Amino acid sequence: MATDLRISNISKIYPGCVANDNVSLQFKSGKIYALLGENGAGKSTLVKILSGVISPDNGEVFLNEKNLKLSSPLDAKKNKIGMVFQHFNLFETLSVFENLSIDATEDNKSLRVRINEILKKYNFSIDLDVPVLNLSAGQKQKVEIIRCLLRSPKVLIMDEPTSVLTEQETEELFISLKKFCDEGILIIYITHKLKEVLSLCDEVAVMRKGKVVSVSQTQNEKVETLASKMVGQKLAKIKKKINTSKNKDEIFKVKHLNFYSDDPFETNLVNLNFSLKKGECLGIAGISGNGQNELFQILSGEIITPDTSIIFRNKEIAKLNPKQRREYLMAFSPEDRISQAAVPELKIYENVALNNFKSSNFFEKGLVNERKIKEHSKKILSDFSVNTDNVELKSQFLSGGNLQKLILGRELITAPELLICYNPTWGLDVGAINYIHETLIKINDEEKSTILISTDTEELLKLSDRIAVIYKGKLSKIMPSVEVTPEKLGILMGGGSID
Amino acid sequence: MEDLLIKIEKRNDVPTTLYFFTPFIAIILTIIGGGIIFYTLGFNPIEALKFYFITPISNLYGFSELLLKATPLCLIAIGLSFCFKSNNWNIGAEGQLTFGAIVGGGVALLFYNQEGFYILPLIIIAGAIGGMIFALIPAILKTYFNTNEILVSLMLVYVSKLILDYLVVGPWSNPEGFNFPETRQFSDSARMPLLFEGLRIHAGIFIALAAVFVSWFVLYKTYLGFQIKVSGLSLKTAKYAGFKGKTMILIVFMISGACAGMAGVGEITGPIGQLHRMISPDYGFTAIIVAFLGRLNPFGIIFASLVVSLTYLGAETAQIFLQIPQYTGQVFQGMILFFLLASDYLLFFKIKFQNFNKNELRH
Repeated sequence: MATDLRISNISKIYPGCVANDNVSLQFKSGKIYALLGENGAGKSTLVKILSGVISPDNGEVFLNEKNLKLSSPLDAKKNKIGMVFQHFNLFETLSVFENLSIDATEDNKSLRVRINEILKKYNFSIDLDVPVLNLSAGQKQKVEIIRCLLRSPKVLIMDEPTSVLTEQETEELFISLKKFCDEGILIIYITHKLKEVLSLCDEVAVMRKGKVVSVSQTQNEKVETLASKMVGQKLAKIKKKINTSKNKDEIFKVKHLNFYSDDPFETNLVNLNFSLKKGECLGIAGISGNGQNELFQILSGEIITPDTSIIFRNKEIAKLNPKQRREYLMAFSPEDRISQAAVPELKIYENVALNNFKSSNFFEKGLVNERKIKEHSKKILSDFSVNTDNVELKSQFLSGGNLQKLILGRELITAPELLICYNPTWGLDVGAINYIHETLIKINDEEKSTILISTDTEELLKLSDRIAVIYKGKLSKIMPSVEVTPEKLGILMGGGSID
Repeated sequence: MEDLLIKIEKRNDVPTTLYFFTPFIAIILTIIGGGIIFYTLGFNPIEALKFYFITPISNLYGFSELLLKATPLCLIAIGLSFCFKSNNWNIGAEGQLTFGAIVGGGVALLFYNQEGFYILPLIIIAGAIGGMIFALIPAILKTYFNTNEILVSLMLVYVSKLILDYLVVGPWSNPEGFNFPETRQFSDSARMPLLFEGLRIHAGIFIALAAVFVSWFVLYKTYLGFQIKVSGLSLKTAKYAGFKGKTMILIVFMISGACAGMAGVGEITGPIGQLHRMISPDYGFTAIIVAFLGRLNPFGIIFASLVVSLTYLGAETAQIFLQIPQYTGQVFQGMILFFLLASDYLLFFKIKFQNFNKNELRH
C-alpha cells in the first residue's frame, strides 16, 4: 500500500530562535528523501516533531490523509513511524535478542522467528545472543533498524546514520535502504553529507534557518549546488597545499607507545611508532573507539605510559604532564568540547585560564591575575572571530562552533610548535568547519605541525600530508595523502588490508 | 486505559539568585515540617516552634550560646567546602576534630601546671596539625591506593573516638579524678579567653571568622582556588589542563583536617576545659549539612552555621519545656538536608507529567 506523509505549515518557536518556520513538505513511498541542512537549520526539530518527542506550536502532520496527533514517541510508533537515531538506544550489556524483546508485544519464540526472517530477507549477519557491546557500530545500527522493521513501519527516518560507519558499512546500509524503499517503506534520510544525498536519494529538501529553501530531484543537483543551497552562499573550496619538501627537520617522534588497560571500555594500544616533520600534518583515521581516545591522552600527557619514548624538539617528554608539555610549546584540542576542553559552567575568561603557561602570567605568585586573563581572552575572541566580545559570558551559551573557535584560539594564541587535535569539527556546521579547516591549514603554512586524529575521512584527506589508520589499537603504515583514497581508508578502518 | 508518563528533564540555566535562595525555601519547609511533627505529637505547633526557634535566643545568654555552637560548625564547614568543591568527599570531619582535640589536648596537659601566653597558640597549632595528619590518611590512601575516601574517612571517625576513649580512661586520666573517664582540667593559659564575663562565648569565634575570609580569598583569588573550582566541575578538564590532581587532593584534605582540628581545640579549650569522652555533639557530621546549606560559599556558611546551631539550642529548650527528647535536633537537621536536596533536585531538573490514552491511538 502506498504511503503518503504530508507535513503542513509546521512552526516551532523557541525563545529567541525560530526552529521551524512554516515548514510544508510532502513525501510518497517508493522514493528516498533527503533532508539536508547545517546544524541548527531545523532538521532535528522537524524530526523530533515527526517522532513525537516535541509538539509543534502550529501545523499538522498527515499520514495517508489522516491527521496524526503525535504527542509522544509511542504515538509515532503506533502510527508506524520508525526512527533510527544517530546515537544508539541500546543496552550494551544485554544481548541483541534481549534488546529487541524489550518492547515487543509477542512471545519470545515467535519474535525470534520473525527476527530470523528479517535477517535472512535483508542478508544481515548478526548473532542474536551476543551482548551488544561486542558489536561494531554498523551492526548496532542494524539492530536499531531491525527493531523498527519488527513493527512493519510505513515510514523510516534515519538521522545522520553514517557518521559512525565505515565506507563498506555505509554501502551496505545504502543497499538495505534501497530494498526497504522498493518494498514500499517511505524513507526520510537526514544528513549534512552531500555525496550521500546524491548517491542514495531521489529527492532532496534543503533547510536553512528553519525554512525549507528548496525541494528538488537529486539528478538535477551537484555537490556544489547543494552546498551553496545549504549554506546560502557560494563556498570557496579549500584544499591544502601538500607539504612536499622532504628535508625538513623532524620535530616529534613517538617510539614504542604501548598502553594496556584492565577497563573493557578502553582500547589497548600496541607498539605505535611515528614521527612528524616541521609544518606537517599527520592524519590518524579510524572509526571511533579504536584507541583514538587513549592515543590522544597519551600524546597530551593525561596518561603516562611506561617505556614509551616521546621526543619533541629534541627533548624527551614522555614523563611530563599536560601543563609541562605546554611549556615546551605543545597544544591540545580534545574531542570532547563540553566536558573536557572547556567547562560550560565557567565563564569564557576562566576557560581561557585553563591553558596556563608560564609566560602568560595568568597566575602570579599563586594569585589570579584577572585583568591579564580577560585581556588575553578578548584578544582570542576577536582574533578567532568568536561571535561575542563578552568574556564574562558563561561558555554554555556559546554554540558548538564558537566554543570550538574559543578552544582552538586558546590553544593557538601561544604559537605552539605542535597542535594535537581530535575531531576538531565534530558536530559543527559548514561555516565553522571551514573556518577551523582554514585555521589548521594556516598553522601548517606557518611551519607549525599538527596531528589530526579524526573520524571524518573527508577532513583527513583535505588537511593531512600523511595519513595512517588506527584499528583496534594498532596503527597501519603511514601513507602520503596523495596516494590515499576514501576507499583505501575505508578498508583499513574496517580492519581490512590493502596491497 | 490511562497511562501516566513521567519525564525528568535537566534545566539548562539555573539563575544564580534562585540558587542561593533555595536554602531559605528549605529552611521554611523545615519549619513547616517541624510544626506538623509537633502537631502530631500533640503539641500546639506555633507554641512548640516558638520554644524551638525563638525562646533559645531571646536573651543575651542564649545568643552567646548560639554563637558558641555556630563557631565549630562554621569552622569545620569552611574546611569541608574545600574538599566538597573539588569533588573530594571527606565525611570524617568528626574524626579529624577528635584527633585534633587529642593532639591539642595532649599539649595542654603537658602544660597543666604552667602559665604562659605561648601555651594557647601552641595548643591551637598542635590541634590543627593533628586534624591535618588524620585527614591525610584517607587522602593518601585515595591518591596512591585508589581507596574510596568516603568509607575511609568515615571509618576513621570511630578509630579516633576509640583512641580518645582509651586515653581518657587510661594513660591520660586525671590521677585525682576518682577514675572518672576524663583528664585533668587545663590551666588558665590553655583556655580560650572569654569575650564577656558570664557568657561562654570565647575567642575561638575569631578563628572561625578568619577562616571565612582566608577561604574566600583562597577559593576566589588564587590559582589553588581556580584548580579546586575546575576539578569540582570536571575532573576530565582538570586532568587535561595538567593540574597536579594528587597534590591538590592532599592539600584540600589538609585544609579540611586543620579546620576540624582547630574546631576540636576550640571546644576543649573553650567551654569544656579538659578532655573527656563527649567532646562534640557530632559537630563534624552536622557541619556537612552546614557546608551544603551555605552553598559551599564562605559567607553562606556563616549564615548556615547560625541556622543549624539554632537547631541544637532549640532541641535543648524543647527538652526542658516540652519534655521531648533532645534528638529532635537531629530530626530538624535531617529535615533541612532533606528539603535542601529535594529543592535542589527540582531546581536542576523539571518533572513533566503526561497523560495519554492508549485506546485513542488504536484506530
